[in-house]
Amino acid sequence: MKKKPMWGKKTKLKSSYDVVIIGGGLHSLATAYYLATQHGITDIAIIEKNYIGFGGAGRNTAIVRANQRTQYNVPLYKEALDLWPVLTKELDYNLMFNNCGNLNLMHSEAAMKAARMTIATAQFHGVESHLIDSKEAKELVPALNISEDITFPIHGAMFHPPGGVVRHDAVVWGLAKGATQKGVEIHQQTEALGIGTKNGKVTSVTTDKGVINTKQVLVSAGGYSASLINGFLGIRLPISVLTIQAMVTQPIKPLLNHVVSSGAYHCYANQTLKGEIATGAHMDQWPNYTTLNTAHYIKHQAEALSEFLPSLRGLRFMRIWGGLADMTPDMAPIMDGNNQIEGFFMDCGWGYFGFKSCSAVGKYMAEFMASNTCPDMLKPFALKRYQEHKLMGETAALVSYSADN
Amino acid sequence: MALTITCPVCGKRNGYEFRYGGEEKGPRPEEKDMTPETWCDYVHMNNCVAGVQQEWWFHRDGCGSWFTISRDTTTNLEQEAQVAPNQEAINDEQV
Repeated sequence: MKKKPMWGKKTKLKSSYDVVIIGGGLHSLATAYYLATQHGITDIAIIEKNYIGFGGAGRNTAIVRANQRTQYNVPLYKEALDLWPVLTKELDYNLMFNNCGNLNLMHSEAAMKAARMTIATAQFHGVESHLIDSKEAKELVPALNISEDITFPIHGAMFHPPGGVVRHDAVVWGLAKGATQKGVEIHQQTEALGIGTKNGKVTSVTTDKGVINTKQVLVSAGGYSASLINGFLGIRLPISVLTIQAMVTQPIKPLLNHVVSSGAYHCYANQTLKGEIATGAHMDQWPNYTTLNTAHYIKHQAEALSEFLPSLRGLRFMRIWGGLADMTPDMAPIMDGNNQIEGFFMDCGWGYFGFKSCSAVGKYMAEFMASNTCPDMLKPFALKRYQEHKLMGETAALVSYSADN
Repeated sequence: MALTITCPVCGKRNGYEFRYGGEEKGPRPEEKDMTPETWCDYVHMNNCVAGVQQEWWFHRDGCGSWFTISRDTTTNLEQEAQVAPNQEAINDEQV
């Protein structure tokens, strides 16, 4: 069978570029795409150790939404959500955006109260989000168990209609195609080994294929960013890298037409277009760089799902996989540039929110790098917020993900 | 991902019995001459090593001990037991 390339041709690594981006995931591809399309900067090399979409880009469960907690995060995710249909047209690539809506179950009066706050924030920022009771939730998802004799009875839900699911691989290929068409080079199987600096300025990036001279470098390598940034530049970050697992069941007839999630059960589920129930939950709570799976986790998923979606009892899990989530103490990302070293930019600490945010973040990081001025949208996300005790309040879920909080 | 942790009291046990307690960061910085930077560094910042690191664990569902081990974060395997530079001092204090 003849292989048809999904995106551009393989090129030879040059000895200098205007911009080098370490990591071939969605934040890197989106930043390169917007640098090329909106700022005319096309002399860009994306350096990827494995292949594009190897990390979080191809391992997330494809859910997108804009119902976060704080006023800094919501507008960013709203813009990301609004960009999916725009990018589908712009890239001429079907990203399979299915805005089926997200239903976030609440299992106590305290949770309902917290949801009211979150919904008020969303509505203030023009994001559609409603509080509904358990009967209304049952009308939306008839498979839900709203009886009172389960571990965490459902009191109500936060319904966020504009959210949904986007095909993550399509976003990887679409952005790669869009960026390479403008002249961006993607170098797979190329490992970054160091960042060279002189007099407080970035001068080069060393790779296993040679040294590249550059004045600007962006590290947006998902879960691997913190280790790379510390290893290359000695900049320590408030990050814990944890494994998050996900799995799909065997395909069944249409049952779930919304993404359903539950904080109390630590479980979310949606039905893919193939009919599988894709489901995931919280993270294994010790830092590691493996993407291995545990029986513990499968058992937890089965227990949670069979309580609030009892018709799934007896279904078989077909596949299970893991990815890395780089968690920060305030569950909000770190986007910074020119602050530690001139020409050094970072975009990391996204935890399990990297996919939902990639489109908008690419746009703003591109603006940041092209103008060397931090856009207002990204200002609250600078690294120095931890020193100034200006942590963001995204930890509304009351779950301790990092050992440090 | 068969994580096992060796507790100094209970021996080698299933990793899910334990709570991870953070990277070994040395002693708490002195209050005197403390800057926001040194405090932030101690409280929040991590090395995030992809390799062997010294780290704290708490035997939550067991004897309740706090102790350090060396573990390879790329394999989840414990390394040869060794005492953290300041753990001896801490243990002495508790005795």
